[in-house]
Amino acid sequence: MNLRESLRISWRSIRSHKLRSALTTLGVIIGVAAVITFMVLGTGFSQSIVGDIEADQEPVMTVHTQTVPEDGFGIMPVDTPIYTETDVEVLEQVEGVEFVAPDGSLDLVQTSTDDEQVTGVVDAHATTSDRFEHEPLVEGETFDAEDEAIVNERVSQLFEGNVSAGDELTLAFDDGESATVTVAGVAEAELGEQTPPRVFLPVDPYYTTTVETPDGTEERAYPTLHVRAGSLDDVEPAQESIVDYLENDSHAAELKQDDDEIEVQTVEDAIEQFMDLVDQLTVFIGAVAGIALVVGSIGIANIMIVSVTERIREIGIMKAVGATRRDVMQLFLVESVVLGVIGAAAGVALGLGVGYLGVTFLEWPMAYPLDWIAIAIAMGVGVGVVSGLYPAWRAARVDPIEALRHE
Amino acid sequence: MAQKLESTSVAVVAEDVRRTYFLAEPVDAVDGISLSLADGSFTAVMGPSGSGKSTLLNLIGCLDTSDEGRIEVGGRAVAALSDAERARLRGTAIGFVFQTFDLLSRLTAAENVALPMVFHDSVRENRDQRARTLLERVGLGDRIEHRPSELSGGQRQRVAIARALANDPTLLLADEPTGNLDTETGAEIMDLLVDLNRQGTTILLVTHERTIAEYADHVVHLLDGRIESLEHLGDARDVAVATDDRSPIAEGGDDR
Repeated sequence: MNLRESLRISWRSIRSHKLRSALTTLGVIIGVAAVITFMVLGTGFSQSIVGDIEADQEPVMTVHTQTVPEDGFGIMPVDTPIYTETDVEVLEQVEGVEFVAPDGSLDLVQTSTDDEQVTGVVDAHATTSDRFEHEPLVEGETFDAEDEAIVNERVSQLFEGNVSAGDELTLAFDDGESATVTVAGVAEAELGEQTPPRVFLPVDPYYTTTVETPDGTEERAYPTLHVRAGSLDDVEPAQESIVDYLENDSHAAELKQDDDEIEVQTVEDAIEQFMDLVDQLTVFIGAVAGIALVVGSIGIANIMIVSVTERIREIGIMKAVGATRRDVMQLFLVESVVLGVIGAAAGVALGLGVGYLGVTFLEWPMAYPLDWIAIAIAMGVGVGVVSGLYPAWRAARVDPIEALRHE
Repeated sequence: MAQKLESTSVAVVAEDVRRTYFLAEPVDAVDGISLSLADGSFTAVMGPSGSGKSTLLNLIGCLDTSDEGRIEVGGRAVAALSDAERARLRGTAIGFVFQTFDLLSRLTAAENVALPMVFHDSVRENRDQRARTLLERVGLGDRIEHRPSELSGGQRQRVAIARALANDPTLLLADEPTGNLDTETGAEIMDLLVDLNRQGTTILLVTHERTIAEYADHVVHLLDGRIESLEHLGDARDVAVATDDRSPIAEGGDDR
């Protein structure tokens, strides 16, 4: 029997049990829809983030240290201060580099205004005023004296009186020291609600962490450096020179632990890293949704087995009028593949629909994950074959005499 | 050896066929039957329940295989065939008509008639044409697109007969074809079978009703898996059924 005939006959039998066929494919529909929805949302999410970053891409880089932890999973940032003043000065001379702003954290215990105080919560970073040269401040300007500071919007919101430029803050540090500073400006919270409240102070005099350099001198050293290049075109060559210097000739190269790695990350690198993360997450969620597909295929197998028993007389008739085992097997297999493909197609449609609603609601761009749609359809065929194989084999083995005696 | 008492060609030869079922204990459903059916003959098989009528029919119809003995349908030895080849033989050389009609309820009359041709891989246009012709031949030219549920019992059996003729078989096997019909409709179906037989179709009919068996030219009486007697009803044709000489019951019961 040729395939077209099997398709025709199978299609009729599917259509004659519309409700049952719909329920049978429901598992596959939900499984595929879940996969497609997550892929649409995942792609939309990363595109929206990457789009935001790329839209106002700055020629900046971050230098920090990272290590692969002993249990070997993922990458851990390392906060040891290894980038010395000398390193900073050398890097500032690299072609294409506009400035290098060191970044060291300070142990801030308590932050207070005249009538309010906050314990913990706010973290303090020592840096140089260059850092804010190009950053749009919500108000005020960058600090240029040792008793001035910049706070971000989150700090400003922390106090009922809404700290703003010109206000005074009293900072109490872990080592018992305290300082009173004037807020020179308020910086944007880059990640919105996710940004921690942060106050930025001039390195001099607040940052006092020093290390003994390989040259035998004591110098301030920082765990992180922020580098800005003159333009986007300067980023790549500058990055290369910086990596070359830091890995070979810098104090940092001598001071770092053997297992630690110096990482110079551009915005593009950051995007890539982020995309990798999103991809991993999306695939993981997709795999979870794939479990629904397995359940779906069990559903099809179940119904097909019932269907074989139920249609045993029909099988007997077909065998009596000349159907071979192969013909019968083919009929049932085609039927389950058709069910699988219908389920997958409906699932793709549903998944795209739900995904579309989702991205519309979240204001992310719509994505059509063509690769996953192709995979889903292939899965539909696969699910059909796998779940139809055993029932079809059983159908093929039906004894026509028994079958015709069956009521 | 099975003998032909007349030199017509033979549609079916059975030679010392045995079939034993192993249920609670071994049951010799068919216990050494030999017979041959001439081309164009019309034979009825009668006997009480458990006499082996249906088993014999299934063996000749290639639905079952004998444990011993040989069966030839249209000159082909059934035992030597593979499962798939037997299926093909069922589809091409044999047409079945069942007591319960056994049409596929989803398909129209024409599609039911065309079903054997589907498994025979014939072109769709040819199938449709042939199904139409056959339905006209059994008097259902105006019911071609009807489903079985829209047809009466007699009409359904006519569709089943048309289906049995689809691949122009050597032999038409009818298992109690009137069993589910009232007397009048049953008579109409038998008239149709007689008509087909006159046009050259070889028919083997199983029944337990004497009045139905009398439509045939010959009656084979079975008892306990053996041929009890042969009866020639002396209609249009000469004797075309013979039994094995070695079969004592058949010998003794040969009352022609």
